[in-house]
Amino acid sequence: MAFDYKKIGLKCGLEIHQQLATRHKLFCGCSAAMQDREPVFSVTRRLRPVAGELGEVDAAAAYETLKNKTFRYFVYLNETCEVELDEEPPHPLNPEALEIALQVALMLNCEVPEEIQVMRKTVLDGSNTTGFQRTAIVGINGWIGTNFGKVGITNVSIEEDACQIMDKKVKGGTDFGLNRLGVPLVEIGTTANIPDPEEAREVAEKIGMILRSTGKVRRGIGTIRQDVNVSIRGGERVEIKGFQELRMIPKIIDKEIDRQQRLIAKKKQVSRDVRKALADGTTKFLRPLPGAARMYPETDVVPIEVTPGKLKELRKSLPKLITEKASSIEKLGLAPDLAKNIAKSPVLMELFQELSKLKNIKPAFLANVLVSYPRVLSKEYNVSDPGTITKGHLRSVFKALSGGRIGKGRVMELLAAAGQGKELKIEAGKDAGFGEAEVRRIVRDVIAANPQALSHSRPAQALMGLVMKEVRGRAPGSLVMKVLADEIKK
Amino acid sequence: MYSEKVRKALKQRSIKVGDRVTVKKLGRRTEGLLMPQTGAGDPETLVLKLDSGYNVGIKFKDAGVEISKTRQPRTAKAEQDYELGKTSKSLLKLKFDTKNPAISIISTGGTIASRIDYETGGVTGQKSLSPKEFLHNVPELGNIVNVRSIERPFTKMSEDMEPNDWIEIAKVAAKRLNAGDRGVLITHGTDFLHFTAAALSFFLRDLTKPVVLVGAQRSSDRGSSDAGLNLICASHAAIGDIAEVGICMHGRINDDYCLFSRGTHVRKMNTQRRDAFRPINEYPLAHIWPDGKIKIKNHNHKKRDDKGKVKLDTSFEPKVAILKAYPGSDPSIIDYYVSKGYRGFVIEAGALGHVPTHGKGEWISTIKRHTAKGIPFITTSQCIYGRINPNVYTNLRILHHDAGAIPGEDMLSEVAYVKLGWVLGHKAAAKDPDRVREMMLTSYAGEITRRTLAGTFLY
Repeated sequence: MAFDYKKIGLKCGLEIHQQLATRHKLFCGCSAAMQDREPVFSVTRRLRPVAGELGEVDAAAAYETLKNKTFRYFVYLNETCEVELDEEPPHPLNPEALEIALQVALMLNCEVPEEIQVMRKTVLDGSNTTGFQRTAIVGINGWIGTNFGKVGITNVSIEEDACQIMDKKVKGGTDFGLNRLGVPLVEIGTTANIPDPEEAREVAEKIGMILRSTGKVRRGIGTIRQDVNVSIRGGERVEIKGFQELRMIPKIIDKEIDRQQRLIAKKKQVSRDVRKALADGTTKFLRPLPGAARMYPETDVVPIEVTPGKLKELRKSLPKLITEKASSIEKLGLAPDLAKNIAKSPVLMELFQELSKLKNIKPAFLANVLVSYPRVLSKEYNVSDPGTITKGHLRSVFKALSGGRIGKGRVMELLAAAGQGKELKIEAGKDAGFGEAEVRRIVRDVIAANPQALSHSRPAQALMGLVMKEVRGRAPGSLVMKVLADEIKK
Repeated sequence: MYSEKVRKALKQRSIKVGDRVTVKKLGRRTEGLLMPQTGAGDPETLVLKLDSGYNVGIKFKDAGVEISKTRQPRTAKAEQDYELGKTSKSLLKLKFDTKNPAISIISTGGTIASRIDYETGGVTGQKSLSPKEFLHNVPELGNIVNVRSIERPFTKMSEDMEPNDWIEIAKVAAKRLNAGDRGVLITHGTDFLHFTAAALSFFLRDLTKPVVLVGAQRSSDRGSSDAGLNLICASHAAIGDIAEVGICMHGRINDDYCLFSRGTHVRKMNTQRRDAFRPINEYPLAHIWPDGKIKIKNHNHKKRDDKGKVKLDTSFEPKVAILKAYPGSDPSIIDYYVSKGYRGFVIEAGALGHVPTHGKGEWISTIKRHTAKGIPFITTSQCIYGRINPNVYTNLRILHHDAGAIPGEDMLSEVAYVKLGWVLGHKAAAKDPDRVREMMLTSYAGEITRRTLAGTFLY
């Protein structure tokens, strides 16, 4: 499918939801880690239409309530309290989450409201026990630059994540896990005027990079979710939810254009739907698009003032973008991909910056070890959990390397030992690096065992490999070379 | 509410709350509907509802703020109306089938009838939803009952209620029952709901029909409100066969069934949960499901017979107080109350009925001094569950036998308090301490049980 996007009047917008890596949930003291595996009990609830209050039945709300479902909510010990169960009013908004959201808003060039008001967004599909999602705008009127030009950011919001569906096939209802409910999210909405699918993808990528640059967002499957809204001339705005991979964006947009065009060709009305993305890029109807008439103030949370002082302080300490960090370390001789891999992890970046300052450490070697040790240890050294390697282990090993007490070849070996639970003893015993005397002894032994090598045209080269095999990385190659040259002269 | 300065500035520009405005400040331009400022926010901060539905605040007090009216709203009017407290008229057409049993609803305020209050930013029953508004959310009621009258004697949160309000409610309820309703349903705030329940239990004599009190722990403006299930089950109770005053609210934190508990043996036992109202020292009268299934749990109750008229006995002496005796407490508080004209006390004592008896802070001599002058003291327990016993320990005997305190049996403090005011309201008892004792130890509304059943603890 190739479309003339300009001719068909394509307009896209993105909505990106990213979980924040805070200790606690947004409105209670529960852990936001989502680590609990087994629920302890469940609670059964129903939701009712709130038409009498909303003054008008919202299309989405009515649709959902017509189904008259029963919802079963599963309680997780460390990750559910009476707030998630809608039995307790929300606690004040988590300041740690607010700070991250404000950073994101500023990094996206947004204006920050002077008073932040938490709202209730009516959601009656059961994914929120309250019947609404708590959400607050922390930034408006922002923008980001792309290769196609500037794209507007309409809003950055901080909100609570919804329950996770456990099983949809429950008779007459749905089973939900309460551990995800209340995990802090930022929602970023772009203007709905992106004219090209590739540009939409670039915008999504860039926003993702900015989010990761804070170092305070959750990683892994399900922690970032993108919605794309698509409209063409003669069609309607349709929101497509539920895909994880950014490279799918252009394909999904094209397929939606195709779907709307077919409807228009058949003189059928395109309805304002929320649709779910399927693996092949096509979509399936989820529910009608909710109208704007579903937002009202959260009366249980007092508005939060953002002072100019606070903003100034935040602006001063905004995290550097991953792309900036990557190009700064690329200058030390790292390949672009390697630099990016270091830069996108705050932990690795910090370690890299610390250890690359040591003498005699090649930045590229250091970066390679930092990026690859978990894979190398588990594949080549049978370390079952490379996660047990601490910053301390890495520091000790690289300090030893820097001080010439070990050679490069010993780095992984020592890390593997640490990963197998052995104590790292670099100073003493067999893990100690060889001194010049020890190296000299090995060199003499090797020469004695291979006298013919001395008649080789380049004896040092001929013997080097054999010597290094004995040294096994416990002395730097430069020392071995020097001693070997000495001994050959003799 | 906005500050005087802001209101003045708005007035000068003939801008009203609800108008679409543009606010310019420091080169930024924000457009939206001007919303009222809640008391919780800064009164000098303008609240704008953006087209997305979100509200944001913009400080007005700094220099260089320009505000002007812009063209009319693009956003949904319904949403704005809702926030401003309007409900579209078409929603208020409530229809009930006259073939259904007739009941009345007495709406008194509370969370069940609450919406946002722009003065405090919280929810309030003061500017409450009309009963029609909150009933509209529960169309199922139309299949159960015929609400032929909605009474609204006043609108208050329960913490603002006074004994005269209980009397007012009792009068309206009696009027409706005697006019032939099958039962009445009273919607009420929950914090002090059990006080009203106790008062009505004593005030409405010769009851032959149900009087059902109902409230909500989550306001009616959310999809998860407990008001729906509570109202449905309460309406089944109101046309059911248990002719008692009782509270009907969630039985568990599931939305499955409600408890209907006797008005003299029920208490709010949790600040927040929807199943906060628990029967105390007694089984609930019944479990009631929304489909109308009623499972009787306590057969010791009055049965409906619909004959005769309910009589009102609302004489009440408001000068009674509940005092709590605890380590370090000062009994001279009693002298203070007596000097203010108080005529009777409920002493919330430790466990079986103990008050500090021997040390410097002992209460015995003070109590004794006042009982000698005919002022009644009734002991109830801080344990909430269980019964007062005047005999087991020496110190219990000193208080109840020597100092003359009346052991309050298994009455809740709140029930004993309401009952004491009711007893002292009667002329015959007011001047006769023996009569007061006799009445306090007589069960008029099931408030004293003969037996404590083991399964009732933490029910």
